Amino acid sequence: MMRGRLREGALLFPGISWLFVFFAAPLAIIFVVSLGQRDAYGGAVLDKGLSFANYLRALEPSFLPTVANSLKYATATTLLAIGISYPIAYWISRHGGRRKGLLLILVMLPFWTSWVIRTYAWMIILRDNGVLNGVLQATGITHDPLILLNTDFAVVLGMTYGFLPFSILPLYVSIDRVDVSVVAAARDLYSSPGQAFRHVTLPLTMPGVIAASLLTFIPAIGDFVTPDILGGAQTTTIAKVIQSLFLSARDWPFGAALGFLLILATVIGTVSTLRILRAEVIG
Amino acid sequence: MTDRQPSGEELARLQALMAVPLSRRRLLQRAAGLGALAVIAPAAAACGTAASPSPASSPSPTAAPQPSASAGASTPAAPTAQPTPQPKPEAELFVYNYADYIGDTTIADFEAKYGVKVTYDFFDTYDTMTAKIADGHSGYDVTFVTSVDVPGFFKNGLVQPLDLALIPNRANLAAEWANPGYDPDNAHSMPYMWWTTGVAYDSARVSGEPTSWKTLWDPAYKGHLAMLDDYRETFAAALIQLGFSANTVSDTELDAALALLQQQKPLLRTYTADDIGALASGDVWVCHAWAADARQAMAERPTIKYYLPEEGAIRGSDTMVLLAGAQHPIAAQLFIDFMLDASVSAANTNKTGYMGPNEAARTFIDPSILSDPTLNPGEAAIAKLQELLDLGPDLAKYHDRWSKLRAGA
Repeated sequence: MMRGRLREGALLFPGISWLFVFFAAPLAIIFVVSLGQRDAYGGAVLDKGLSFANYLRALEPSFLPTVANSLKYATATTLLAIGISYPIAYWISRHGGRRKGLLLILVMLPFWTSWVIRTYAWMIILRDNGVLNGVLQATGITHDPLILLNTDFAVVLGMTYGFLPFSILPLYVSIDRVDVSVVAAARDLYSSPGQAFRHVTLPLTMPGVIAASLLTFIPAIGDFVTPDILGGAQTTTIAKVIQSLFLSARDWPFGAALGFLLILATVIGTVSTLRILRAEVIG
Repeated sequence: MTDRQPSGEELARLQALMAVPLSRRRLLQRAAGLGALAVIAPAAAACGTAASPSPASSPSPTAAPQPSASAGASTPAAPTAQPTPQPKPEAELFVYNYADYIGDTTIADFEAKYGVKVTYDFFDTYDTMTAKIADGHSGYDVTFVTSVDVPGFFKNGLVQPLDLALIPNRANLAAEWANPGYDPDNAHSMPYMWWTTGVAYDSARVSGEPTSWKTLWDPAYKGHLAMLDDYRETFAAALIQLGFSANTVSDTELDAALALLQQQKPLLRTYTADDIGALASGDVWVCHAWAADARQAMAERPTIKYYLPEEGAIRGSDTMVLLAGAQHPIAAQLFIDFMLDASVSAANTNKTGYMGPNEAARTFIDPSILSDPTLNPGEAAIAKLQELLDLGPDLAKYHDRWSKLRAGA
């Protein structure tokens, strides 16, 4: 019994220490910094008394538009990514045949190039004199260049593109796991292909949809690079505000407070979403 | 999420590489640059150079001369003498600068002359640099600091005094730069370039000859206007328009400036750290810009013009400093000296369009730059310009309003 408990502890140790080193400790540091006062050249002054003043500042209404922007981009990105990924994942799983491995490698292939470089490529495509406007004008669809770069459209496009592999892979796994004979049974019982999909395949792949949504939504809400490169004056996100508080305004304590709130909101949102969906979907 | 959140200087480097539409020549150059990045990055990471601030960066990957005991044309060998007047430089040097702010071959020439391997990194905004060097362990030896910040940086222990014996080329400085008010006797900094901030516009898109800051508020150009992603400069543009000092610390004046900028924000395409790319790509028609950046954009898009607004504008200068935590102080000071060499300084000016403080360099500078009133304004024009001063703790008043401006709807 004693030995069993020891072994249990030993087995848990790597996991617990990973969680501590990479999650709990950084979070604790962020929290402590958020209670301090700003230092002229960055950093935080902690010995002049700790307070929650930065959290009060974070609740000022002037930051609401950026929170709304972040939610808007993350939601749109997630919906688009799932909508695009599901058919792709479905097709690879059902019709990929011997080439499944190759197709999955192709899905992951973009990771071989730095994400920033790929995002910059979109810049060249989207600018006023860019590739897309060139095609639109050459084909006579538009006359004057459309403003595409530095808009909401560009940000959502860039994020959707960037996070697509994160939604395709979990969806593929869960679709591939669905036993084809279950679908065949539904068809035998006179359901149309659409009904079989709605009542059998979709519910069975719901865990994959949830996983894909989380894997898209969470990085999307923390993304500051895409809004920075493809966005403009009107597309500030909360993550971008946090980044500039650290790097530009040198107000670490306030940045830490906003960051801590963002992490808190993400964790609470994720856990409660999982709870609700699990209760409904998995029963 | 992905394992790569790009750092500030990585962004800046990419911006430098890719922000401007590609002519064939540039495309090839950049493709080569990116290729080099891709190749060097893993190798450099594997080498794990101590205190290397960022792995992939040397813009001249071919030039990596191995320092040997007798190499270095100008370093006296002096094998026996104990304290040599000009000590041997260290094997490496880490320099941190803005993008597009140096001559094409300056780094390679320095490497060849002294046998020092230079890692030359870019920062995208001044604040990124300040944040990075603030803890004294950035790994960089030399960086470029706005002159008015030099006293504050020294007081806060971010930079160290220079050994003037290593910098004989300071004799090349013009009289007004040899003993400047911000740093008597150049004890902690050497002047690098000076600049003005005004408005650049594409004359193919903008009618007439604009003369005011108000062009940047003109609804006719909605979606094609951009301000600099620099809170001091952007607030200065508003403050000067309102008739206030660009260094005000008055809350009411700053609130008025904030209101003016908030009124402008819906018209803006972007707050940019890359005025050259914004103008050259054609996305932005009227851009808050540095004079010499406008000139660099002109090389890509000849219809770009620049003016100093009639209400007044900003001028300033950048200096080269030796950072407090510098691991390679001798190489660093030899580099600063090298940058003050007449022909090197002139090459930097000819490339960037920024005028330097170097009197001896004038004979080598492109006459078209010397005679251009936007790049080399006369005394009378300079007298009308304001310099952005170090505001100490009051700077927070700007930071807070800037956050509000950027975050607001």
